[in-house]
Amino acid sequence: MNELHLRIEKALSDRVLRDNLDTFYHNYKESHKRAYEGFDFNELKKEVGKIKFLSKEERLKLFEEFKKNVESAGAKVFEAKDSKEACDYIASVCKRHSSEYVVKSKSMTAEEIGLNAYLEKNGIKPVETDLGEWIIQLAKETPSHMIMPAIHKNRKQVAKLFREHLGVEVEDDDIEGMVRIARHYLREFYFKAKVGITGANVAVSETGTIGIITNEGNGRLTTTIPPVHIVVLGYEKLVKNFKEALKIIRVLPKNATGQIISVYVSWIKGAVESLSNPEGKKELHFVFVDNGRKALMGNPYFDEAMKCIRCGSCANVCPSYGVLGGHVFGHIYTGPIGAILTSFYHDDKRAMEILSLCCGCKACSEICPADIELSELIANIYGGLRFKYGLNTVRGSIYTNILARPKTLKGAAKIGSLVLKSVERSSRLRSKLTPKKHDFRVLPLPKSKSFSAVFKERLEPQQKKVDGKGRVFFYPGCAIEYLYPEVGLSMARLLNRVGLSVSIPDRMVCCGFPAVHDGDRAAAKKIIRQNAFYLPKGDDFDYFLVLCPTCGTTVKSLFSQFTLDMPKEYEKIERMEKKIVNFSKLLDELGLTVKTKGDILFTYHIPCHQNRGLHFSGEGFLKKILPRFYVPMRDKDRCCGFGGSFSIDYPEVSKAILDKKIDSIVSTNASVVVTECPGCIMQIRGGIMKRGLPIEVLHLSEFLDRYVELS
Amino acid sequence: MKRRVEKFLEMSKLVGNNNVVVDMAGFMSVLDEKGDSFDFIKLNSIDGFDRVCSVGKKGIKRALVEADYAIAETGTVVVESSNENFRRATSLSDELFLVIRSSRVLNKLEEIANYMKEHTKKESYISFITGASRTADIEMSLTLGVHGPRDMTIFLIEEEQV
Repeated sequence: MNELHLRIEKALSDRVLRDNLDTFYHNYKESHKRAYEGFDFNELKKEVGKIKFLSKEERLKLFEEFKKNVESAGAKVFEAKDSKEACDYIASVCKRHSSEYVVKSKSMTAEEIGLNAYLEKNGIKPVETDLGEWIIQLAKETPSHMIMPAIHKNRKQVAKLFREHLGVEVEDDDIEGMVRIARHYLREFYFKAKVGITGANVAVSETGTIGIITNEGNGRLTTTIPPVHIVVLGYEKLVKNFKEALKIIRVLPKNATGQIISVYVSWIKGAVESLSNPEGKKELHFVFVDNGRKALMGNPYFDEAMKCIRCGSCANVCPSYGVLGGHVFGHIYTGPIGAILTSFYHDDKRAMEILSLCCGCKACSEICPADIELSELIANIYGGLRFKYGLNTVRGSIYTNILARPKTLKGAAKIGSLVLKSVERSSRLRSKLTPKKHDFRVLPLPKSKSFSAVFKERLEPQQKKVDGKGRVFFYPGCAIEYLYPEVGLSMARLLNRVGLSVSIPDRMVCCGFPAVHDGDRAAAKKIIRQNAFYLPKGDDFDYFLVLCPTCGTTVKSLFSQFTLDMPKEYEKIERMEKKIVNFSKLLDELGLTVKTKGDILFTYHIPCHQNRGLHFSGEGFLKKILPRFYVPMRDKDRCCGFGGSFSIDYPEVSKAILDKKIDSIVSTNASVVVTECPGCIMQIRGGIMKRGLPIEVLHLSEFLDRYVELS
Repeated sequence: MKRRVEKFLEMSKLVGNNNVVVDMAGFMSVLDEKGDSFDFIKLNSIDGFDRVCSVGKKGIKRALVEADYAIAETGTVVVESSNENFRRATSLSDELFLVIRSSRVLNKLEEIANYMKEHTKKESYISFITGASRTADIEMSLTLGVHGPRDMTIFLIEEEQV
């Protein structure tokens, strides 16, 4: 087992971590919603995204303006090429003032450059004053979350740390007591230290003012008591003016922890009065850290990452982070943005590990208040790194040689079906061939007859006779085509019954998402262009139906991107995009009347790409048509842990995520779980079968076909 | 103005502040009766009550200061804090009392932008304060008074609408 898998196992067996992350995941979603009451989150997000989306030239111009303004107010500005230069400069300022201690207010940029270790090596004692950061400093760890650095610890562990390191008496349960100890103990150091070090949350160019947010008040003291103040920051913190800065202050605490605003926002301009400085005014330094930022600023593929406001919310909603924590899903920067920043500011290989743990659920892109397409950036950076380390060959060849070719794909499915069936017949062989880690779900076998074959044989001939209420073009995707033909057939029967005709593509290739998620853009391009040939003209149908939201999202958001240089195909796709619907949306638009065939208590799992790709979840529809039988589940839009190849690469992580989903399902007492994604069905049904629970997992089409009468 | 003030008081209450709504005469009698209980007083718009002490490591018990503006959207007070002893008094007092006139309550965060721009043209330190100092760093359990005040009170002075 490699080192990463060992760390994963350690994280997964850490109960404190699991409980803390679980509580936080659930509470965060609720408080985030409350904090934004009265605001349109998507509007704010676009606004902030626009403010922070600057070209390299614009950003450097803001820097020059900022520099000029602070220098004229008595501050010094230093540009550090890398961590070493930044640390050297800071240490030399500390030495000049013979500062034995320095107090620090939490700064991710200081973490990034490894400042504490560097200062210690130079005989200077840094004291973290943010409680969480101080706790992990005592524990000699790195933050596991950007905003809540000690989220992985519980009160008992903190009490023990305090007893051991400070020699104080404190009960395991006494959080207030621990906070009092911190207040008393740290107060000394503000007055002992000659230098205070902080980061900045925003840097306003028009005046040269920085804004620092804290809840504890440690930022205000760190910047007030010592005679010297050093600010460590990156160019991404620069904004033009206060209007923009205030918009960022509006979203930052809300997104970070669901708090409306932080208790303190300290706005500092220049060298203010200082009682402890013999010159009567503060000595103020700004250390701007490059460390790869200038390259990132000019990179048209990835400069979006510079929009990040360091709220940490992408970690809050990430299913992998939610079971692993930031010491596995992160390096120094944690969570999804951490995966990206690590690849720019730190080690490549470490970055690749984190990137590979992305399950592609898009929750990060949805929550990001700066409108960063995190999910896409992660896939693309991962693709580049896989290429660099020669890991693309096997999967890449599967993508281009099998998934993009109709006949080969069909053949491969057939062979797969035969092999797996013979394995399945012998349970001994099956258990021998399935490593224990992978045996957490019962997987379906490919069917010997594909959906298209059955449809063409049994249903296609009668489509002309169907009452002409509308023409539906159905895009099956691999899962319905080879694993769950019955899901597609249920749908076709239902639609025929209410007067809609169904047609399918002549030939079937994969939608390309597996390649997209792996960042293999070349393979994705090939598959998608192949698709473009096989799709009908936009005028030939009224609805473009998908029963797999991942296929739907890929068609909707990526097909046009990869066919820009194919005028006819591009036009076809452009027209088609507007007609893409999932099943619940189509039925909702048809406005059918519904009757259940008896009492059936059901719940609904929202597939990731349903909400975050197609922007329509069946939940509202089902609640509307079957209000008496629907029970909502806790964290209904939390990923099931499938993530395609993710669940094969990291079965233990996939299982941990799935376990949470199944626990939520069980606590609803429903006997049926309805969802609208074959991937989710594979995962949830497989897990439920493995646990031997009497719960059915059905696609919406099967559920309606079986339990409901539509007219 | 009334709705702005109401919203400010609502948000201020939400972060745990004690809100005291008084008219000018009422506030003057608070000063007359309880003025002595404050270690530090700095009022910009009311003369004759300021009391300044130097604030060190041990901190002080009670500070009473006046804010320049308040922001209804977030329940925030905007306090000009460029004087270091003033900043120490407001950071190191156990209980912090903030005075704000109703005509100084703004609606949205952006409305303070011009003030910020004007005041930070030269060296300055401005603080937004929204409630008592707090942390949730241990098990996300909210605890007040980590480094700064454990308790905060807002005196909102209601003025006649012009």
